[in-house]
Amino acid sequence: MKGLASLFLGIFGTFAFSWVGLTVIPNWQIGHLNPQSDEEGTDIYPQPQSGMAERGARVYAANGCIYCHSQQLRADYAANDIERKWGDRRSAPRDYIFDRPVFLGKMRMGQDLANIGARAPKEQESAPPGGAAAVAASPSPATSPVKAPAASSASPAPKALTSPAPVGASASPPPAAATAAAGSPAASPSPAGAPWPVQTAGEPPMYSAAWHHVHLYSPRSINVDSNMPSYRFLYQNRRISDARSADAIQLTGSDAPPEGWEIVPTFDAKCLVAYLMSLNQSHPLKDVRSAEGAPAAPAPAAGSPPPASPK
Amino acid sequence: MNATGIPLKEPTVSAAAGDMEQLERAYIDASTRVPVLIFYTSAMAWLVLGTLLAGFVSWKLDSPDLLSDISFLTWGRVRPAHMNVMVYGWASMAGIGTAIWLMARLCRTLLRYPLLLVAGACFWNLGVLLGVGGILLGDSTGYQWLEFPGYAAVILFVAYTLVVSWAVLMFRYRRGEQIYITQWYLLGAFLWFPWLYAAGQLMLFVVPVQGVLQSAVGWWYANNLLFLWFGAIGLGTAYYMIPKVIGRPVYSYHLATIGFWTYALFSSWTGMQRLVDGPFPAWMITASIAATILTMIPVATVGLNHHMTMQGYFPLMRYSPTLRFTVFGAMSYTVFSVIGVLISLRSVARYVNFTQASIAYSHLGLYAFFTMVIFGSMYYIVPRLVGREWRYASLIKLHFWASAYGIGLMTLMLLAGGFLQGVDMQNPTLAFSESVETALPYLRGRSLSGILLAAAHFIFAYHFGLMLLGLGRTSTVPTFLNPVEAETSGGH
Repeated sequence: MKGLASLFLGIFGTFAFSWVGLTVIPNWQIGHLNPQSDEEGTDIYPQPQSGMAERGARVYAANGCIYCHSQQLRADYAANDIERKWGDRRSAPRDYIFDRPVFLGKMRMGQDLANIGARAPKEQESAPPGGAAAVAASPSPATSPVKAPAASSASPAPKALTSPAPVGASASPPPAAATAAAGSPAASPSPAGAPWPVQTAGEPPMYSAAWHHVHLYSPRSINVDSNMPSYRFLYQNRRISDARSADAIQLTGSDAPPEGWEIVPTFDAKCLVAYLMSLNQSHPLKDVRSAEGAPAAPAPAAGSPPPASPK
Repeated sequence: MNATGIPLKEPTVSAAAGDMEQLERAYIDASTRVPVLIFYTSAMAWLVLGTLLAGFVSWKLDSPDLLSDISFLTWGRVRPAHMNVMVYGWASMAGIGTAIWLMARLCRTLLRYPLLLVAGACFWNLGVLLGVGGILLGDSTGYQWLEFPGYAAVILFVAYTLVVSWAVLMFRYRRGEQIYITQWYLLGAFLWFPWLYAAGQLMLFVVPVQGVLQSAVGWWYANNLLFLWFGAIGLGTAYYMIPKVIGRPVYSYHLATIGFWTYALFSSWTGMQRLVDGPFPAWMITASIAATILTMIPVATVGLNHHMTMQGYFPLMRYSPTLRFTVFGAMSYTVFSVIGVLISLRSVARYVNFTQASIAYSHLGLYAFFTMVIFGSMYYIVPRLVGREWRYASLIKLHFWASAYGIGLMTLMLLAGGFLQGVDMQNPTLAFSESVETALPYLRGRSLSGILLAAAHFIFAYHFGLMLLGLGRTSTVPTFLNPVEAETSGGH
């Protein structure tokens, strides 16, 4: 039996070994990354979050979104995250250098959110410093075209969720689909466009800020099979004073508020949506290969192809 | 040994020496009464609360619209509340209670400075209460097992400092030269935890590391908490309880030494395998996978040692509640480790990553192994503190079977559901939602197992309450699961 001193020494030694090996050395290796930029020092990626998105990250943490959603894409040889159109390249350490906390996640009871902001309709895609602008713009005319068919949406609301259309689309060879989408910058959420086969009538354009609000308030109004909790406590039910608020979310069916009432997002809900809209890893990184193979695409067109399978 | 050849009581050496030793032990046990019972009682309260929270989580998963107007009852807050209540409220407090008692017994000295421990328990309770309250009110930090907001973490750390300074003081007053293997594990746990906790808090919240390294530190913390804190206390307890109950020394002290050092060395390097295929340098993940495979060495030595100690004494599990729970826990340690190796291999990990299987793994470690060992130790220790024996053998049996079947069913459901979920997720021709749909029936099966576990915990809490109120049996014979005389006269 060894002496007491060697017992203590061993207890500290083994632990120090692990601590240095798994936290200190990695910190030395990848703990001081800088954003990348092109030769002129412009086109900097990633950039810090705006105030609203930053607060939204705290709402995300507070309400445990991480227990069902990951924010990381694995390489194409390891998994089919890219084939699922969740993004066009794997995630790299550099994508997260401004994130605090980091929500890599360990569970996917819901889809990956690493690129959820990149899937927003073009006119709403968040500007580089985050989604504050996107939220401000959310209840704007962008949502008007879908108001008309609200009545017809009662029964077929969750259509296309089980239809073979998205499945077929996602099974197609990814490079072809990706180049097709990238080649047509007009990949807007037009109803005829193939990239949006699951656009539900009567709902705001998919992944727009308004859509996120409806989805957070009533997930099953968008996808009847969803088992995401509804976050009604992030919304306020209030009487319309003189005119309907521009912020009020558009609900149909049993979720709709009674006549003369409206449901508006709280500041936390707006921040959360701003945060979601800011999640975007579609910018090419020199560290990793993008699905197209050529990470030289100009930045404005770098919005990833809209997803074929939304859930 | 008694006439049946089964040492159902501690072997009496000679009348005089035996009496002295018995007396000394009784004094030591009496001196630990107040602090250990405070830790145990608090732990039981947290266990009941954690069980209720788990039930609520399970229910909400099935009816996601339930109570969605109430912010502090949203699923994403109650789930971490449940986890943290179990980890810091139940498991840590019960583990500390057992560790205190073992320390006093093995140092062969009366418990000194009980106020340090009483204060430690109060602060610990306060820390957990504030932490869980903070999570429910929306202050969670978002890191698994480190969700407690800063104000709670500081209090928890103060509480811990009180406990560990007591342990070090106690160790200085020990009598006898030999340091038993259990003390190695306990000293290890007591010294590893503060470093671990401080390192986790500092590197995540005070001077946070950059980007993805936060996740790495988080998983490094969580895995080491499982191995170097809970695992070390659990193994140390098993090393004491098994030889004690059967009245026979540990099979090989040499093996025990090897087991301890390899355990410390290899299990502390695991954790990164949970980040498989993530945005990290590949060597980090590979190192942890290798370390996970190497943990088979301590598993083999510890398992062999316990098995050889028990050899020929397995029938005693029919009678002794302590032995039954402890052996179940010790065997689960092997199962837990083997499954840990299987799901860390890259080829398998790709299928179980992002699925329910990782929850199965945590429950195997924290419940099937650690909690069962701690239940066993409580069945041994509590009668020695309150001077009464457990009242109902039937309740102990119910507790055991409900726990054993409950955790078995839960593990099977989560592993099978998780694997199938992962297979669907890896199949690009299926929509993502199919993988969730696949897992849901298994989660309902898991809820069923939760009912069994809840029954077990309520039964145990009731029984424990009777003991606290002095309503146990007054007897010199411990409560056996089955009547000893009738069985042995016929069978052996």
